[in-house]
Amino acid sequence: MLRTARVGAVVGVLALVVVLGLAFRHDPQDIRSASVGKPAPALDLERLDGSGRFRLVDYAGKVVVVNFFASWCIPCKQEYPALVRAWERYRSADVVILGVLYQDSRDAGLAFQRRMGGTWPTVADDDGRAALSFGTFGVPETFFVGPDGIVAGRHVGPIDEETLVTGIEAIRPVAGR
Amino acid sequence: MDLASLGGGVLRAALPLALAGVGTSAYAAWRRDGRSLASARVLSLAVLGLVVVANLAMVGSLVAHDFSIRYVALNNARETPLFYSVISLWAALEGSILLWTAVLAGAVAWVAWRGTRSLPRLATTALAVAFVMLAFFLLLIATPVADPFVRLADTPSNGRGPNPLLQNHPLMALHPPLLYLGYVLFSVPFAYAIASLILGEGGDRWLVATRRFALTSWALLGVGIVAGAWWSYAVLGWGGYWAWDPVENAALMPWLTATAYLHSVMVEEKRRLLRTWNLSLVVATFALTILGTFLTRSGVVNSVHSFTLSAIGPLLLGYLAAILAFSVALLVWRAPRLADGGSVGSPLSREAIFLFQNVVFVAATLTVLLGTLYPLIVEAVSGAQVSIGGPYFDRVEIPLALALLFLMGVGPQLPWRGASRTSLERQFTAPLLAAGVGAVFAVLTGPPAPAAVATFALAAFVATTVVQEFVRGVRARGVLHGETPATAFANLFRRSGRRYGGYVVHLGIVVIALAVATSSARTTEVEQTVGPGGRFTAAGYTVELAGLRDVSEPQRDSVVADLRVASGGSSDELHPALVFYPNATQPIGSPGIAAKLSDDVYAILAAYDARGHAWATIRVRVIPLVSWLWIGGGIVGLGAVVAALPPPRRRERPAIVMEPAPAGAD
Amino acid sequence: MLIVAVVAVLAAVGWSARPRPITPAERADAIATELRCPVCQGLSIRDSPSETAREMRDLVAQRVAEGRGDDEIRAEFRRSYGEWVFLTPPLLGLTGLVWLVPLVALAVGGMFALGLVRPHSPVPATPLVPPSVPPSEVVALRERVRREEAFE
Repeated sequence: MLRTARVGAVVGVLALVVVLGLAFRHDPQDIRSASVGKPAPALDLERLDGSGRFRLVDYAGKVVVVNFFASWCIPCKQEYPALVRAWERYRSADVVILGVLYQDSRDAGLAFQRRMGGTWPTVADDDGRAALSFGTFGVPETFFVGPDGIVAGRHVGPIDEETLVTGIEAIRPVAGR
Repeated sequence: MDLASLGGGVLRAALPLALAGVGTSAYAAWRRDGRSLASARVLSLAVLGLVVVANLAMVGSLVAHDFSIRYVALNNARETPLFYSVISLWAALEGSILLWTAVLAGAVAWVAWRGTRSLPRLATTALAVAFVMLAFFLLLIATPVADPFVRLADTPSNGRGPNPLLQNHPLMALHPPLLYLGYVLFSVPFAYAIASLILGEGGDRWLVATRRFALTSWALLGVGIVAGAWWSYAVLGWGGYWAWDPVENAALMPWLTATAYLHSVMVEEKRRLLRTWNLSLVVATFALTILGTFLTRSGVVNSVHSFTLSAIGPLLLGYLAAILAFSVALLVWRAPRLADGGSVGSPLSREAIFLFQNVVFVAATLTVLLGTLYPLIVEAVSGAQVSIGGPYFDRVEIPLALALLFLMGVGPQLPWRGASRTSLERQFTAPLLAAGVGAVFAVLTGPPAPAAVATFALAAFVATTVVQEFVRGVRARGVLHGETPATAFANLFRRSGRRYGGYVVHLGIVVIALAVATSSARTTEVEQTVGPGGRFTAAGYTVELAGLRDVSEPQRDSVVADLRVASGGSSDELHPALVFYPNATQPIGSPGIAAKLSDDVYAILAAYDARGHAWATIRVRVIPLVSWLWIGGGIVGLGAVVAALPPPRRRERPAIVMEPAPAGAD
Repeated sequence: MLIVAVVAVLAAVGWSARPRPITPAERADAIATELRCPVCQGLSIRDSPSETAREMRDLVAQRVAEGRGDDEIRAEFRRSYGEWVFLTPPLLGLTGLVWLVPLVALAVGGMFALGLVRPHSPVPATPLVPPSVPPSEVVALRERVRREEAFE
């Protein structure tokens, strides 16, 4: 019995140290979203500027960059210029950026967008259902929806232009392909 | 020379001194050399002095807002009030290790000066072990790994300020130092246990020598855990006090094994049993304190308390691995020498109950450990991300806790070796009747919650055993010494403090169990959106929103809801708020609490109209008996003090001492 | 008498554990207790005061009102947040182990403990304090006090 206990102690200690060592390989803050690789949730939301609704199904065949943001969120302010540049670069190439205002008042969101110079469609997610269906963990968070309607990628936190371009190019239908 | 250079300098000076301490004390223990021991003693004081100076230098830099130091720039701002500047010493990684090292240096000095007096060889060996631990922590803070005094290339004009959650409540001044003290003081029993193993001593001298350290460490951990629960109740704003957060678990685990140890140690003292087991519990407890530090400091788990990722993680893991490997090897090597001297009595003996209790405590600890680490294991094995949280722990730990409550009532009532039928009847008649009454009372007054009903029954059971013990103890002293009941009661504590202090601890645990069971089973929650002047009711209280206002302070802005909470004739003003800190992306909820012995009204401002202050969403929880949780923690602490105080010096039996006492002696 | 007390305790616990019909609000609460709030530190959405948790609670309540089953509601959250969103690990699969360990620990520990314990035999009557025998009671009481003080 003593022998079993000794072997047990040694094995237990080894296992503990190995598990703790393996834990370093991963950042605990980085939680994957389950929505990546699945068909994008059906979005049907009112536009901030009152010009009707935005339905994701209407954009089948295009790349849609879904960007969750709020006016009170400081990192959202940081990433905005990158979105503006990407929009200028791709707006004529079957790529749409969709701003989704989350946990914020519509007035504040609209004022933010005008001030920051965003001209892409922006919708209000008043009850948070859109954010929940995409599996967001906060703002800012950006999803790349491919022409096939599948969520191909996701970025948590402020995004930069390079990440945006890489994400878009990976799924953009290229002429002649 | 400025404070930062001074602090960094003394730390770098302390490291070689601590290493010299390792050498001199090891040599002193090996050659039984008194002169080396004398040097080791001086070295221990020198290191303590230097580390204390470094701590003072850090506090001075924080108070002076010296933002050229990285730690100060990250954890302090010009606007930080003096009190929070001082306690920022332990608000982040480097500072808390600095404080930790100071406490450890104090423990080392104690072993060097006091410990070596009574048990020279054992204590000198323990001193060498303790010096190694001290040298390790100095290695962290005297080198760039966790140097608290590291400079910034450019001095910012203002610092980032402390973590908002940590500058919200004065309890922050209490909870971390209590835990650190508890963690660090357990180094002493560990050092003695290791020394005893190295020397191959079969005796129990290490255990007697460190009994008070183990008890004090256990009590500080326990009170620190309750203070932490109180802090999260008062600050985090969700109306609970325990979320099975990895770092809460990290503090709970060593407390559980230390509790097991404090009981099984009595079996060794009384019956010369469980020697290897007790050594293993000491090693496990100490390793769990280091594991706790690792979990908090390395950033491998996501928690309210985790500090940022740093190089300290792998070093702490190496330290933990080294401690475990060394201790387990020693235990395996020495175990044959530690053969026990007797055998456990019948299943109805006190030692058997202690044994069962140990099994439950160890199972509870393993559950917490595994539950905390399991997401890491699953991710390492399969890459999947899973969560293990409150519902899992509640489901497993509550039955274990109830079993422990039951054993807590049974154990002290049974004699060593075994009980007879008559003594069983005599001991358990009143407690069992009380349990029946408690269960019926719970069913009649509360909602149908099986765990709560069982807790009420067991609480009545245990409380009755404790009262019965006190009554019998008082009666015994009365019959024997002719003491009045009051004197006899006081003398129980004075002369048999360990036993009766232990009963007080048990009473404190009963109070905590009742508070936990009642507050979790009988809380009422109401959430309402109202305009100014609007009111609603929750569990007999009328809650009225008097108004919303903006409050601006130098270090933060808040939106405060003024509530009037009335019940019967009395009313309270509550001011739950949402607080905006410049360094936080989201507002932090600050609850308004009206605490009473019968129940707490806990109000949160969940949402509000930012434009016109036209409405606010208020969430109110009425939580019965939750104050008794903190009171129970206090009772546990008091009981531990009684149990740790040395009894008055033993006089001869009063019956024999017939000559008059010398004048002025009484 | 003692048997009555024990039966009373067991009956009380059993009575409070009896199956009862639950209201939709209780059902929503039970689901919410098991769902993890994405913006908090390990809190359930039932406990969390955060806005995200409130949105999730609203969604659960709406689905319950629509008459969806528990599994259907959970599947909706699993679809967007994965297994991560459940605070209780599922019984099946790798996470099932986590439920087994406490039981195994208790069983193995209990076997060790019982192996050490001498089988129960009626202990010869060495009662601590024989009731109602005054002279010997004093002896026993003295013994008790001595023992307690000696233990310091």
